[in-house]
Formats: sequence, structure tokens, C-alpha cells
Amino acid sequence: MGINLKKATGSFLMNGILILFSVSCISPIIWMIYSSLKTSPEFNRSIIALPEKLIFGNYVDAFRISHMGTYYGNTIFNAAISLVLVICISFVLAYFLSRFKFKGRNLIYFIILFGMLIPIHALLIPLFIQFKTLNMFNQRYTLIIPYVAFAMPFSIFLIESYLSGIPIDMEEAAVIDGCSFMRMLFTIVMPLCTPILTTAAILQLFTKWWNEFPFALVLINDEKLKTIPLGLMNFSSQYSTNYPMKMAALVLAILPVILIYIFFNRKIIEGMIAGAIKG
Amino acid sequence: MNNKAICPKKWVFFLLLVPGVAWYVFTVIVPLLGSLRYSLFSFQGMRADKFVGLANYAELVSDSIFWNSLVNNLTITLLCVIGQIGVALVFAAMLNTTVVKLKNMHRAVIFFPGVLSMVIVGFIWTIMYSNDYGLINYFLRALNLESLILPWLDDPRYVIYSISVPLIWQYIGYYMVIIMAGMSSIGKEIYEMAEIDGVNGWKKLIYITIPLIKSTLLVCLMLCISGNMQAFDHIFVMTNGGPGTSSSVMALYAYSKTFTQGRIAYGNTISIGILLVSLVLILITKWIVGGRKTDGYQS
Repeated sequence: MGINLKKATGSFLMNGILILFSVSCISPIIWMIYSSLKTSPEFNRSIIALPEKLIFGNYVDAFRISHMGTYYGNTIFNAAISLVLVICISFVLAYFLSRFKFKGRNLIYFIILFGMLIPIHALLIPLFIQFKTLNMFNQRYTLIIPYVAFAMPFSIFLIESYLSGIPIDMEEAAVIDGCSFMRMLFTIVMPLCTPILTTAAILQLFTKWWNEFPFALVLINDEKLKTIPLGLMNFSSQYSTNYPMKMAALVLAILPVILIYIFFNRKIIEGMIAGAIKG
Repeated sequence: MNNKAICPKKWVFFLLLVPGVAWYVFTVIVPLLGSLRYSLFSFQGMRADKFVGLANYAELVSDSIFWNSLVNNLTITLLCVIGQIGVALVFAAMLNTTVVKLKNMHRAVIFFPGVLSMVIVGFIWTIMYSNDYGLINYFLRALNLESLILPWLDDPRYVIYSISVPLIWQYIGYYMVIIMAGMSSIGKEIYEMAEIDGVNGWKKLIYITIPLIKSTLLVCLMLCISGNMQAFDHIFVMTNGGPGTSSSVMALYAYSKTFTQGRIAYGNTISIGILLVSLVLILITKWIVGGRKTDGYQS
């Protein structure tokens, strides 16, 4: 009896704690979503009450005033181009590192490994100076350069360890049958790597490109080129008192992330685990 | 390894290899070397102007705000190691028991803040901490605990703790899923045998689980330390280092020296400081915890 009671209390406590914490993880977001549907005076009267009627005016205003459309466009542009480039470049490098011994292989290995240890904030200012001197500051392509470079080490090691598990026989057979190297690389090996390429892409999308802030802050100041996090920054400082509108802008910024997360959370979590452990 | 049969012609080889390597060197290695050079100069506008030797470093060593920022980094790191890895470990252990329901939902929901941008989390928590319109004070008032209400982000004594909370909150799920992945490699028989021997609850966590996932925990520790040495986005949004410099961290200090005070060379020197501190910390962690590989999960 005593043991059963103890077990029941334990299970009640554990479930309770986890439910409480889970609620705390999403309640700020839910609060923000429904508060963004209130008018400013309504919010000031009671911050917690549900909206009397749903008003989408905040969204219209936030979208118009904050240039959210431009920020969206820029973020998607940067992410899409970086995605294609990182996947191609990392795949090719990983392939060479895993299949061939060549002069300089160890050197490449070393600089990539060493690069992983360098905190990006140690490179922000030198990169700013370099870009400014070479006139690469504030261009449409500016952010893609660091985004691709800093995503490379992780992706290369992920893909390389995956490649080492794929036997080489098929590639040899293809080449013997007269398949050119390029064709073999991109039409035979690359499709085989699809799972790990998706993982690498998802990982970078969420940890780097969609949410990236420091590089955008330092390397971009043209309103037309700003990304979502950077754009929110000045929107928020201009309209600091109108909370519902501010929240509407924040919700607009995270809506795609929420939607993607709802559908792909398993894949995303798996990707993050793989990245953390291999990295 | 040396697969002559499929090795392409030399020019194809170089054509494919060089762009990626060059891209990486241009963005990571060149600025790094540049940074070492810039730190020895004084700047006139954007130009390295005059060689000043180690003067910038001398200033850095005697700069109390830099040391203060470093201490803040270390405080945040310590709080996060306890708050993120510690709590994540307990939650993971709970989710590993049979009595807990809705496991997948908990996993997905607790991980969720981790996919949000740190800037957005910073904004959300600024609103949460807000004096009149924040959820935190609202609940404290509702629970009749008004005496606990603090100027969360405006008091130099508490601000470092206030800004650590969102950091911890955001990434508990991240460490939780990593630890859960580590735990899933422990065989069920081990627990069954332990239960027969009468080992239960907390003892199981401390004497069986933790020793068996030591290398996973080490991975978490390294990620946590290197992540928090780079704390920047949240703090930039929430306090920008204020009030005064009480919540400044190294990256933020380098940024403000360079861009608000225009001291490019010195900002660069701080960057080198960040690099050195991070490398030293990583080495220390490796040295303290490393050398003992105990579980087969990560070979």
C-alpha cells in the first residue's frame, strides 16, 4: 500500500511538473498571438483577457509600417541561395575528403576543424573591416558569404561521416561503365545522400539562416536589404509603446517557423540531435 | 581511401575543390589573420594607420569593463550549465520513465522555443518582464506576491539573472532531446536488473544513467560553454548591456566599442580576447572531463 501510494504521488508529481513546464514553453507565444488581436486600449485595460472581438488591424498596420514584406523577401532570398550553395559545396568537399587522399587534404581538414572552434563573434569585426575595404558591405549578396562559410564545417562533417558508410563499389562500376565523374557525383552519389543533405539543410535553416542576427546587424544597414530579425529591431524601437502591434509584428515573424515546426518537428529534432552529436 | 579508379582528371579535381576551400578561407581564415594584424595598429577611419605594437592588448588587460563582461559571460555560462543541462537531465529522466504520459507532445513542445530566433525570444521576454504589461508581474500580482516584483531589467544587481532566464528557457529542450537520445542507447536490461536489486528513482538516475551517458553530457557541456561564450542577440535586444555596463558581455562590448564608439582597432583586440578565452575554456573542459570515455554511444 505504502509503495503504491509513493508511486502514485511520484507519477502525479512528474506528470505535473512536465505539464507545467510544457505550458510555460508555449504560453508566451499563445499570449502574444491572442493579444495581437486586441486593440491597444483593450490590452492596456487587461493584459490577460481574451480579445472581445478579433481585430486584424494590428497585422495590417504592422505589415505596412514594419516593411515586413521586404524583410521576408530578403530572409527567404538569403536562406534559399545559402541553402543551395552550402549543400553543393559541402557535398563536393565532403566527397573529396572521404574518398581521396591528396596533397593538402590534412590542411583542409585542419582549417575546417579549427574554424569550428572559432566563435563567430570573434570574426564579426574583422569581417566587417574586410568587407568594407573590399566594398562588399551592404550588397545583396553580402550576407550569403558568411552564411555559407559558417555553415560549411558542420555540413561537411555530417555528410562525410554519412558518405563513409556508403560502399564505393557503385561509383567504381559507374566509372568503369563509362560514366563521367561529374555525372557519377551528382546523379548517383548525391541522391544517395538525400537524407543527410536534408538533415544538414534543416539544421542550418533554423540555427543559422532564418534567425541569424549578428552578421546582418554588422554587415547590412540598407533598409531594402534587412532581414527579419534586423528589421524587427528598428521597428520595435520605433513603436515601443503599442504592445499589440509589436506582438503582431513578432507573430508575423515567427508564423512560418511555427507552421514548419508543427509539420516537421520530428525531422527537425532529429536533425538537431545529429548535428549536436557529430559536431 | 585512395580510389584511383574513380579519381577524376586533375583539372576537374581542382575545379570542384578550389571554390569551396577558397570561399571558406576568404570568410574565416583571412579575417582571423587580419584581426591579429589589425589589433597591432591604431585606426584612422577604416584604415590601419599606425603600428602601435601591443598597446591595444595592454589596454585590454587593464580594462575593467572587459573583465566585467567576461565575468558576466562566465556567470551566464554557469547558470546555463546548471539551468539547461541540469534541468534537461531531470526532465529527460522523467520522460524516460513509464509513468509519464504524452511523451512525444512534451518533447515537441519543450523543444519548440529552440527553433525561434534569439532576437524574437529577447523581444518576447522584454514584454514578459515589462513592469505594467508583463506576464510575470501580472502573475505575481495575481498571487498576491507583489513584494517580489522587481525592476527586472533595470536593476544592475539582478539584470544578469533576468537575462539568463530566457536563455535557459529557450534551450532546455535542446539539451533535453540530446540527453534523451543518449539515454535511449542504454539497454532496458540494465534498468530491469537494477530494479530487481531494489534501485529506484533518483538512485537510478545518479548511479546508472549519469555514468552511462557521460560522453553525451560532455557534448552538452561543450555546446553549452561555447554557446554562452557567444551570448549576444538576447542581451543586445533586452538591455543592450545596460543599465550602464552591468549586463555587458564580451561580444556586446566588442560591438559597442567598434560601432558606437568607433574604436575599430580596440574592438578587434576584444575579438581576439573572445577567441582566446573560448579556446582556453574549451581546453580546460576537455582536460577536466575528458580522457575517460565511458559509454559506447559516441565512439
